[in-house]
Amino acid sequence: MSMAEALQVTKKIKEPKNLSPRITWLRDYYFEGAKRAWNNEFTAWTTGTDWDEVFDEMTFYIVPETYPFLQTFGSSIRQAARPVKLHPDFWSWSLAERKAWFVKEVMVNHVPQELLPGDLIAGARFNIQTSMCWSKKEARERSRLVHGKHGVRAAMKWFHDHGYGNSGATSGHLIPGYERALKIGWMGIHEELERHYQALGPKDRQGRKGAQLRAMMTAATMPRELAARYAALCDKMADEEKAFVRKAELKQMAANLKRVPWEPARTFWEALQSLWLTHMLIISDENYPGPGVSFGRIDQYLLPFWRRSIEEGMDPEFGKEVMKCFWVHANTAYDAMVRIGNNGITAGYGQLITLSGMGEGGKDMTNELTYAMLEVIDEMTPILEPKPNVRLHRNSPDALLDTVVDMVGSSQGSPFLINFDERSMAGMMVEARKAGVTHLINEANVHDYAPVGCLENTMVGNDRSGTVDNNLNLLKAVELSLNDGKDFFDFIDPITLKKEKVAQAGPKTGDPRHFKDWEAFWKAYVEQTRHIVACCAALYEQSESIRARFCPTPYLSCLVKGCAEQGLDVTQGGAELSFTTLEAVTFATTVDSLLAIKHLVYEKRECTMDELIAALKANWEGHETLQAKARFKAPKYGQDDDAADAMASQVMKLWCEEAWKYRTVSTNRQFRPGMLSWNYWVADGFILPASPDGRPKGRFLSNAICPSNGADINGPTANTNSVGKALGGASADGMGDYLGYRNCLPNGASHTISINPSLLKDPEHKEKFKAFLRGYAENGGTCLQLNMIDADTLKDAQRRPEDYRSLLVRITGYNAYFTSVGRELQNELIARISHDAL
Amino acid sequence: MRTENNNTGTILRIQRMSTEDGPGIRSTVFFKGCPLSCVWCHNPESISPKFQVHWVGSRCIGCRSCLDACPERALTAGKKGIAIDRERCTGCLKCTDVCPSTALEAYGQAYSLDALVSEVLKDRVYFDKSGGGVTLSGGEPTMQADFSLELLKALKGTGVHTALDTCGQCGWDTLESLLPHADMVLYDIKEIDPERHRAFTGVTNAKVLENLLRLGGFMRDRGCPRELWVRTPLIPGCTASSENLRGIGAFLKGNLGALVDRWELCSFNNLCLNKYDGLGLDWRFRGNGLLGRDEAEHLAVVARGSGVDARIVHLSGPLRLEAAEKAALSVIKGGSV
Repeated sequence: MSMAEALQVTKKIKEPKNLSPRITWLRDYYFEGAKRAWNNEFTAWTTGTDWDEVFDEMTFYIVPETYPFLQTFGSSIRQAARPVKLHPDFWSWSLAERKAWFVKEVMVNHVPQELLPGDLIAGARFNIQTSMCWSKKEARERSRLVHGKHGVRAAMKWFHDHGYGNSGATSGHLIPGYERALKIGWMGIHEELERHYQALGPKDRQGRKGAQLRAMMTAATMPRELAARYAALCDKMADEEKAFVRKAELKQMAANLKRVPWEPARTFWEALQSLWLTHMLIISDENYPGPGVSFGRIDQYLLPFWRRSIEEGMDPEFGKEVMKCFWVHANTAYDAMVRIGNNGITAGYGQLITLSGMGEGGKDMTNELTYAMLEVIDEMTPILEPKPNVRLHRNSPDALLDTVVDMVGSSQGSPFLINFDERSMAGMMVEARKAGVTHLINEANVHDYAPVGCLENTMVGNDRSGTVDNNLNLLKAVELSLNDGKDFFDFIDPITLKKEKVAQAGPKTGDPRHFKDWEAFWKAYVEQTRHIVACCAALYEQSESIRARFCPTPYLSCLVKGCAEQGLDVTQGGAELSFTTLEAVTFATTVDSLLAIKHLVYEKRECTMDELIAALKANWEGHETLQAKARFKAPKYGQDDDAADAMASQVMKLWCEEAWKYRTVSTNRQFRPGMLSWNYWVADGFILPASPDGRPKGRFLSNAICPSNGADINGPTANTNSVGKALGGASADGMGDYLGYRNCLPNGASHTISINPSLLKDPEHKEKFKAFLRGYAENGGTCLQLNMIDADTLKDAQRRPEDYRSLLVRITGYNAYFTSVGRELQNELIARISHDAL
Repeated sequence: MRTENNNTGTILRIQRMSTEDGPGIRSTVFFKGCPLSCVWCHNPESISPKFQVHWVGSRCIGCRSCLDACPERALTAGKKGIAIDRERCTGCLKCTDVCPSTALEAYGQAYSLDALVSEVLKDRVYFDKSGGGVTLSGGEPTMQADFSLELLKALKGTGVHTALDTCGQCGWDTLESLLPHADMVLYDIKEIDPERHRAFTGVTNAKVLENLLRLGGFMRDRGCPRELWVRTPLIPGCTASSENLRGIGAFLKGNLGALVDRWELCSFNNLCLNKYDGLGLDWRFRGNGLLGRDEAEHLAVVARGSGVDARIVHLSGPLRLEAAEKAALSVIKGGSV
């Protein structure tokens, strides 16, 4: 009697709204992309020595698309680099001091200062590639470690070629101490550095610690000097300006810049100006265009400034106008590679802002600025940066959920990620216990956590957790278990066609054809999992130790607590909370593969192990019946089937425990587990061979903690319940890691659900959807990405990309303009179940 | 028909996160078997109380495993794929068991009471957050009255909100036995004219209306079920007429008054066409399009003016796109509609 609801074809592509002529112009101008006269492309700067390097390839090791071009990037950037006249003492300084001076020199005295028409925030060009400032000896040594026969580049390439995944010491991906910079200004930061320096004994002062602190003090004056340049520019433009209103704006901007970021901010406008310059200089300092450099709980730490300015008579709409300028600035980070276009490399940087969430004692922290920012997001959407993440919890107010659900309903996908506090905080509590840092993360402050990049939970201002640095394909352990620790096939380089014979890469766990039962197979899988995690940790050590020696970021170190105190750069493990995250990829494919082996070989005896291995080696060709059984008859994770989800839980516990066993030797950073799979699950599907779940080589792997494609046949609630169970579920006695919640992934896990827009068709359904989100907070994961597009729209966007230029899609935490992602990924999105389209 | 074993039910499917079968987020249990045979039926696979088999061509990998598995030799492979001889098929489901790709699929599944209860309770937290619960629908739950009774009792025992969705074509004693365990009833009145009702469904509406009157009495006397939603399908050329809605409205006003919390007009849906094809059945609505928005809105206006409290009338289901919407869509889609 119940009628399936047909698709209501009422969805439209979200348009920006309520934008002033100023913002409309700035936004439209931004979207002109490479056609713009002004842009923020990389400019490159060199010491002029013939051994100079101006590009650190290691920070792109987690972007396999760049591997073929690493050499070219390095050479062409060096070719394009302009020489900078060096300070006479330059070569007598430590590397950190050279780097601090060089970046400051470039930003203040070489990169031009510019202001776009109508802009209310200064700070335009910041994408730079600077000399690594190495001496000849340093350059030679570093080159040997990177490019030598056993160098990290070869090791990284082997790891990726053989389907293990990727790993590299990567820039960005942390929440700097912005709140402190706003409160005490760079003046205050500088004073503290000075105090630490004065407290050093003479020996330390002459040594490594002294050099680091001197470098940081140099870096700490960069914002002041750059602000002075912009103040002068604003004054000059004000003089030349005829229009009265604009003239006044420019004068006020000059006044702001004469104070901040050096002095503490007083007004909301000053705070945003201070925040922007402070933030963009990290991008300059790291020579990395911003991915994952996140703002944390911006609606909390900007609130005092907002309230003060409102009290002093600021029109809230003007406050929003300044925020909108800030939004446009954040997007210009993408200009780094503006001529390459919006592709996988430049999509979804994730300068994340966090809104709402829990405070002390479970109190909700939603405030008027939260709503003002949500309005800004709604009015500016579609636009990628800064990427918002809204924190929900048991006590989130209805009004916030109403806004969230309305915004989800009016966009193509939710214009933000949704983080769930209780589950996330349970994971942070686990981290505190496992790493012995309960003095830094505990019941009293765990609510201060915030996500980085997309959904990667960390603490704020004292935490670098390397949230994207290690991406490991769990499925590799299944392949190795099925072949006694060896790959299935010889590796043939797709470009050179050079063949590498199969070798005994993993431990010998025996010929699975002779295994008596499922337990014997599981034992082999455990061994091989230990092996792949160990391989990943060893590879990371290589790039991490090189970065620690050769790639200091003294400016960023000023904004991470622990660095000044220890006189240690953030790249050397200076952060108080120093983790690196092992992000497991292919989770559901792995679980489903193990379930299929158990089902087909040991329980139902549909085939022998020999037949299964033969089918996998044949990429299922000629074995279609067995493949269909694997795909459709074997149990799957994601259907709220307790037996299948128990396997998911077992797999999860195993690799998490392995991750906790490692620390970096060079920098003493503790590995911690998480699940973010960026886009690797797409490309690595072409590397890893056929898997026992019925997937042939060339088809995608599963994404983060999501069920395999097409497996979530029981709808969003079943999907959600499975995810929650995989993370640890609820503790029976109510004594979980936080309240009753368990969560073995402190980093969090990316979970995407696609939902038909008709689920939000009227107020009654919106209420139901709000309830779903409240249910998610109880039963689900740490972070939810909602997709609200239907297959027809996407197919049409494939046919007519020109009509869908601004169509945003979000694939887990990673988001991109649909027309700019690769065809395979587009097809994959289309293949996703849209839950209501029966 | 009473089932032999009141601890086993024949269930068509369970739909979780249903937002269309009562308040809140619900798990809807679709029973198999229905005493009516409405000419427009949207769920023809729910009519027969027996297990049935259908073949989904797009899933078939051509392995022919099913041909040998069938003990009745009811399956043949031809040019159009697997053909099912409905005369021979006993619903033993050996073919669906053996089919590796779920191309042969069973309509109907035997559920023990315990298994069904634990399955629907998996969404307990979403029920609690949304004011939802479990809806017994179909098919017709009163056709498996003993099992329905046990299921409702078990669910009430856990404190879950229960809804009974019925066509009303059953003995009063059957319905009466279920009502104390249902928080609400969703009750279909499809057609007010007895003869037209017979033409559309195979029986007159005498029993349906009589049971509804008695249900009203029960609710007044006992204070439960607390809620009543009446549902009327809007079928073009059949029930989608002003007279019908005026007639139903007058009946509701005259006999039930304030007991009806909602009167839902559910517009015709043609998505079920492929189900008819899969069952090898013809369907007289094959060529029918969806109801137009103007027409549906007009019928809603008629219903609101029929004497019932206008606020209880709700319109749901898919509607045909109007010219203006098509134009808007073609702008969005670059003229591809």
